[in-house]
Amino acid sequence: MNKKNIHVEHSFSTLSVLATGYLGPALVPNRDLPWEEKNLPHPPEGLVQEILGQPLRRAGRFIKLVCCGALACLRSAPEKILQDKKTGIFLATGLGNIDEILPFITQVFKHDGGYPSPNQFANSVSNAAAFYLAKRCDVKGLVLTVSQEEFSFESALWLAQTYLEAGEIELALVGGCDVFTPTVEEYRERMNFHPGDVCVAPMGEGSSWLLLGRSENRSVGRLLSVNLEIGFAGETQVALGQQKLEEMVLTGNLPENEEKIRRIFLPGFRLSDTDRAAWASDGWEVDDYLPFCGISPTASAFGLARALSLYRSASIVHCNKDAHGKSALIAAST
Amino acid sequence: MNIRGWGAVTALGWSTDESAQNLLAGRVRQGSVCVSSHLTNRDFKAYEVSGDDNPLEKSFRMLDASITEAFVRGGLSESEIAESALLVGTTGGIFIRNEFEFTEFVRSHPGGESPAIACRNRGPGEVADRIAQKYGIRGQKLTFSMACVSSSHAMVAAAQLLAQGKIKRAIVVGFEPLLNLTLQGFASLLLYDAEACRPFCNTRSGMQIGEASSCVILEQEAVPASGNHSFSLVGGCLYNDNSSLTSAGTNGELVEKILSQTLDKAGLAAGRIVAVKAHGTGTRDNDLSEGRGLVRVFGEKMPPVISLKGAIGHCLGAAGAVETALWLSCLEEGKLPRSFGFAEVDPEIGFAPSLENRQAPDGAYLFAFFGFGGTCTSYIITKTGRHE
Repeated sequence: MNKKNIHVEHSFSTLSVLATGYLGPALVPNRDLPWEEKNLPHPPEGLVQEILGQPLRRAGRFIKLVCCGALACLRSAPEKILQDKKTGIFLATGLGNIDEILPFITQVFKHDGGYPSPNQFANSVSNAAAFYLAKRCDVKGLVLTVSQEEFSFESALWLAQTYLEAGEIELALVGGCDVFTPTVEEYRERMNFHPGDVCVAPMGEGSSWLLLGRSENRSVGRLLSVNLEIGFAGETQVALGQQKLEEMVLTGNLPENEEKIRRIFLPGFRLSDTDRAAWASDGWEVDDYLPFCGISPTASAFGLARALSLYRSASIVHCNKDAHGKSALIAAST
Repeated sequence: MNIRGWGAVTALGWSTDESAQNLLAGRVRQGSVCVSSHLTNRDFKAYEVSGDDNPLEKSFRMLDASITEAFVRGGLSESEIAESALLVGTTGGIFIRNEFEFTEFVRSHPGGESPAIACRNRGPGEVADRIAQKYGIRGQKLTFSMACVSSSHAMVAAAQLLAQGKIKRAIVVGFEPLLNLTLQGFASLLLYDAEACRPFCNTRSGMQIGEASSCVILEQEAVPASGNHSFSLVGGCLYNDNSSLTSAGTNGELVEKILSQTLDKAGLAAGRIVAVKAHGTGTRDNDLSEGRGLVRVFGEKMPPVISLKGAIGHCLGAAGAVETALWLSCLEEGKLPRSFGFAEVDPEIGFAPSLENRQAPDGAYLFAFFGFGGTCTSYIITKTGRHE
């Protein structure tokens, strides 16, 4: 493997993962339950009552899932962990509040006119969900909504790392949420799939979160790096993963005898069979998480949060591509 | 961070130079009924960019013109463009495609039943993807979709990334074509003024939307000589208050807090501020909140306060980049622009915005933006004359 051509754009100090939470189409937090695309979306009211303890009547489905996913993550953290801490919220979403935008714009374009719902318009703004979450968590300060298609979550993680490293915040609640909205054909088009493209999984949804900090006390794992590289595929992609692993050993983030560490590879929805095979042939266990969450712009959040909660003594790498072949890689360990 | 280049397309013109010249010359029209073919309600007034092409093509042309102007002004080479990071602020993204295609379908099938409008755009991130592909930008791409502070947040985030050496150069873009979605949306919230946009005026009753596209280029290192002055972004604050989804409150405390934090971060006392580029939307609550906040910060030593929205409208997610670019072009002319739309002091605010062009001395200029979701952005841009 030719590692010389690998250009690592950024190096980061390690961050602790203090809590994780993943929520897929079955709407049961932190569980792998079966679901079918044809039955989506499931009503979230039961989940909202369970997690939030009260209905969010004025909020749409996207906002509800953002809040439920984030709070399910915080439930696994030490109690009152956010109290007196400068916390940032980084919400990643590829398609945003599409569940509010569609009915609003449909009303706008109806032939008989009439005013559409002002509440629906206010909630259709992409950062409305982050506002609801910030209010629920009593977080003031840095609250960002980031959107970059299938790299939305990776971009949000990269940004959160930046602010944590700078000391601007002590904790970062970083998550990815996208909702399933009919029709499947239009959803695929919104995801930049073309007619005839083969998808490795059905279209899905999810809301999955990590709580990151600098302290290693009571952490479930470590976030090692986020790399958004250019045009890597197959062998050089794998080589980058191996390089990350070696860096982890060199920096003391993994024991030297790393053969005892499980190496878990999480393939994103645009990775080809060739890409997956390259990782498997290099000794990585391929954990195909997509059947549990389906394809959505922020499926990587589900995959990473799930892996961090499921695997012990593991090094974990998630890799996906965008429609132009550019790769994004996240490295973590437990 | 040094500001290397900027560009913009507004209702005042197809470049920041043209827009600034029209603004300083007083060639400003109030918002008016729009002519774009995709707009379904001909009663709404807005600040529309001129153009004969269809609205989708026009919006792409706006985007390209603003970026090209910034690249040319900054003298960026192809390799410099390639190695830059791209940060975009937009609320609607390329939603205009949905609206245009739907209205064209209806127009071409008169009397027939039209399907429901589809939403086929790829989310806000599609804008950054389009720009990166077209201009060969290979660095990080990041899109902020955060209502009216989208591109102002992008500016401050870019400065943070530059300060930490995460990126070498930031191309910050604001993009906001006129949409039925937003025109109807703000009207439904009773935030639209059917008469005029009148920032800080006692008779104000709402905002009017403007369409625009803009690009501002930031970098850490000293920039090549271009123009008569050097501009730097110093001190920037992002803040989210969780009290209200649609209002920053009206007592001015939040505004005071964010502006004071910005001054502290820049290491400047309030007395050092030459002028304030206010958010000044023309809505009752925003202007009251902002006005009171400014009084809390500056007291009786209020510098000139200017809102650009009476001249170009509220450009929503693009407001940050657009108003920054337009302001810089005015400063390059040696002038501070005046506010438009104002007629009468609101006794609850207690001051009038600046109503005349002024000389623009070297010094620090304070920028403020506020948006839905309790969001606030503030930063300071310093101007210094070039010494050969």
